[in-house]
Amino acid sequence: MSLLGSILNETAIAARSLADYVTGTGLRLGVTGLSRSGKTVFLTALVHNLLRLSKASAAEPRRTFPVFRVHAENRLTRALLEQQPDDAVPRFAYEQHLAALTGGDEGKDARRWPESTNRISELRLTLEFERKEGWRKGASSLTLDIVDYPGEWLLDLPLLEKDFATFSRDTIEASAAASRAPLAAEWRAMLSSLDPKAPATETDAQKAAQAFTGYLRASRNDRYALSTLPPGRFLMPGDLEGSPALTFAPLQLGDGEIYPSGSLAAMMERRYESYKSHVVRPFFRDHFSRLDRQIVLVDALASLNSGPSAVRDLENAMSEVLNAFRTGRSTLWSTLFRPRIDKILFAATKADHLHHTSHDRLEAILRLLVARAIARAENLGADIDVIALAAVRATRDAKVKHNGDMLDAIIGTPLAGEALHGETFEGLSEAAIFPGELPDDPKRVFRGDGLAASDDEAAWRFLRFRPPIIEDTDGRPSPIPHIRLDRALEFLIGDRLV
Amino acid sequence: MSEKDATQRRPRAFRLDSGAVVDTAGQSAALDIEPDFYAREAETLAAGNTEAAIEGAQKQGILRRSLFSWGGLFWSALTSLLLLALGLWFTQLVEDLFRRTPALGYAGAVLIALAVLALVVLALREIFAIGRQRKIAQLHIGFAQARERDDTATARTLVRELTALYEKRADTARARKDAEALTQEIVDGRDLIDIAERSLMSSLDRDVQREIANAAKRVSLVTAVSPRAVVDLLFVAAQTLRLIRRISEIYGGRPGLFGFFKLLRSVFAHLAVTGGMAAGDSILQQALGHGLAARISARLGEGVLNGLLTTRVGLSAMSVCRPMPFAALDAPGVSDVAPFLFSSGKQEQTKNER
Repeated sequence: MSLLGSILNETAIAARSLADYVTGTGLRLGVTGLSRSGKTVFLTALVHNLLRLSKASAAEPRRTFPVFRVHAENRLTRALLEQQPDDAVPRFAYEQHLAALTGGDEGKDARRWPESTNRISELRLTLEFERKEGWRKGASSLTLDIVDYPGEWLLDLPLLEKDFATFSRDTIEASAAASRAPLAAEWRAMLSSLDPKAPATETDAQKAAQAFTGYLRASRNDRYALSTLPPGRFLMPGDLEGSPALTFAPLQLGDGEIYPSGSLAAMMERRYESYKSHVVRPFFRDHFSRLDRQIVLVDALASLNSGPSAVRDLENAMSEVLNAFRTGRSTLWSTLFRPRIDKILFAATKADHLHHTSHDRLEAILRLLVARAIARAENLGADIDVIALAAVRATRDAKVKHNGDMLDAIIGTPLAGEALHGETFEGLSEAAIFPGELPDDPKRVFRGDGLAASDDEAAWRFLRFRPPIIEDTDGRPSPIPHIRLDRALEFLIGDRLV
Repeated sequence: MSEKDATQRRPRAFRLDSGAVVDTAGQSAALDIEPDFYAREAETLAAGNTEAAIEGAQKQGILRRSLFSWGGLFWSALTSLLLLALGLWFTQLVEDLFRRTPALGYAGAVLIALAVLALVVLALREIFAIGRQRKIAQLHIGFAQARERDDTATARTLVRELTALYEKRADTARARKDAEALTQEIVDGRDLIDIAERSLMSSLDRDVQREIANAAKRVSLVTAVSPRAVVDLLFVAAQTLRLIRRISEIYGGRPGLFGFFKLLRSVFAHLAVTGGMAAGDSILQQALGHGLAARISARLGEGVLNGLLTTRVGLSAMSVCRPMPFAALDAPGVSDVAPFLFSSGKQEQTKNER
C-alpha cells in the first residue's frame, strides 16, 4: 500500500471516529467467530434476554442475570430496539432468528437453530438505566450498536500488509502441513501445472480459483473442522461471486522475479490487490476500526471432536485473528482519532454440551488456545478474559450410574442425525449423554496428530442438541436459559452502566 | 490417566424414551437428575446482599468523600475563626514577651514553631491514615467484584496490593510469599482470591475474634458487678471504641482521629442495616440466653446483653475493616465468637466470677 494511500485511510478512520464521538453513538460491540461458532444464536439470545430483562423478571430480578450488575441492582429500567443506524448495512434479523429458535407460529415442535449468516449485520439497542456513580446521577441511557461479522473476514486483515508473492508463499507452505496435505493434493497438482509467466487467460484463472476454493471448502468440512485460511471471502462470496476480485489463486512464484504485464502472475497480482482494496479495506475502515469492545466466539468443542490437529489449527487461526485487533486502552485522544478495542472476551460457546464440572477445563483449554494473543494484548493494556458460555442452554445436568461408575452426564434432545457408537438419534426424544472427560492438563489436547477421529478412538464426543422448549409468558417468549451470558455482558459493557 | 481408566471413561449415550435408562448395548443404568447448578448459583448470588450491606456501609463512612456539606462549612468556618483568634493571641503574647526580655520572646517563638510543626506532622499522619483506610475499603470492593466476575488480571493486581499492605507484618511472611508466587502462575481468578483469603486472612481473623471475645467478656463481667449504671455505660462505650480501633489495626488500618470518626460511621451504618438481618439467626438464642441469665440475676442478664451488643459491634467492625469479603472462609456469627454468652446461666456465672 502506498504511503499516500495509508495516510488517506488513516484520515478516513479518524474522521469517522470523530463523527461517532460527536454524535454520541455510545458503544460499538463487535461479535465475531469463525463460522458455526454460534454467533447468530448468541446475538439472538443476548438481544432477547436484554429486551425481556427489564420486563418479565421485575419481580425476581436477580434470578435470570445475577452477575449483570445494572440489572441485579434493579437499575435497568428499559431496553428497546432502535432503528438500524447505518443504512448500507443489513439489519440483524432478530425477529426471524427468534422465531426459528422458539418455533414461532409453527409451534414448539418446529423449533430449530437459526440459519447461520455469513455476512455483516448490525443492530441498535438502547438501554435505559439509573446511574449511581459519577457526576451525572439518575436516569441515563446507553446506545449499544452490536455489529456481527464473520471471523473469516478478520483473517483477511493481515493480507493488507502482505503482497501477492508473500501471500502465495504463505498459503502454499500452509497447505503442505500434514493435516492439510491430503485435502490440498488436487489443488497442488493443478498449481504445479500452471506457468506464472504464460499469457493470462480467463479459463486458467477460473480453474485455479475453483481448485483453490475447493481445497478451502474441504478443510472447513465438519469431519475435519479445520479453520479457514485467507482469503475469507472465497467461502462466503455474497454478491461478489464470479467477480475478478474473487477469481484468483496463489501461484508458485520465484523469489524477486519480475513478471511481464499480461502474464498470468501479473493478472493474479492485480486481482489480489483489488480484492484487498474492494473487500478487505472497506470492511476495515467502515466496521472493524470503529469497534470499542469485542467478543470472539470459539467453538472449541468441534475442534476437540475432530482431534489434536484440528485443535492446533484452531490455535493458529485464533492467533491470526488476533493479529488484527488494534487493542489498547481508550483515552480521550484515541477515542477521537484512533479508536481501539479496549476489552476482548473469548468465549468457548456451547458449554451446555458439557457437564458444569468440566467448564473449568474447557476454559483452561481456551485460555491456552489464545495464550499468545492474551500476552500481546496485555502488553498493550487491553482487558482480556476467557469464559465458557452457552447463549442458549439446551441441556440439564444429571448423574448416571452405570456398571458401578458414576458419570457426569447431560440430558437433552440430540439433533436428528447425531450419532454415538453406531446409535443414531432421530431428534425426537431425550437422551443422557456422557461426553467423556476433558483432560486435567489442557496441553494434552494439542498432543498427537489425530484428525476426524472415529467414535472408537475418541476420548470425548460432544453431540449437538435441539434448542430447548421456550415457554411463553404474557404472550411473548420468556427469557432464554443460558450459561454465564450475564458474566459475559458484565465484562463487556458493565463498566458503562455504573 | 492409566490405559484402563481411559477405556472406562469413554463417551456413552443412554436412551431415556422408553421410561427406562438404557445404554447402546441394552444395559440398564440408573439416572439421578441433579438440582439445577446454575439456578442455585444464581440464587446464592441473589442472596448475597450481605456484601451489598458492607459496601454500602463503607461508602457511608470510610469511602465518603463529600466536597461540600453545610455541616462541613459550619465547622470549617468556626475552626478558622478560632484559629484566627488563637493566632492573634499568640502574636500578642510573643510581642509582649519580646518587650519584656528578648530571650523570652525567642523562646516563645520557638515553642510556637514547634507546636506548628507537630500539628503539620499530625495532620499529615491523619491524611495518610485516612488514605490507608480508603485503600483497604477499595480492596474489599475490588475483591468482591473480581471474584464475582472471575477476573484473573484484576485478581492478580489486587492480591499483590494486599500483600504489600501486610509487608511490615512479620507473621504473615510465609502467607505473603505463597500468595505472590501464585500470582505468577496461571490460576483462575476466583481460585486465586480464595487461596489468598485462606492464607492471608485466617490468622488475622483469629486475632480479631479473640479481641471481640475478650471485649465481650470484660463488658459482661463489669456490667454484672458494677455498682452504678453510669459506670458500666462509660465502660461499655470505652470498650466498644477500643475494640473497633483494635480490629482496624489488626487488618492494617491505623485510624487517627478523623479516620476513626469515618470508621465509626461505617460500623454503625453497617450495624443499622444488618442488625435486623442478623437478628434472625440468633434472636432466639439471645432471648433464651438472656432469659436464663436474667432469671438468676437481673444484673447478670444485663451483663450478657451488653456482651452481645459488644460482639455485634465487633462483628460489624470486622466486616467493614476486612480488606477482603468473606468468601472462602465463613463469616463468623455471634455464637462463634462469643459462645460463652449462650451457655447456661450457671456456667455463665462461674465463668464471670473466675
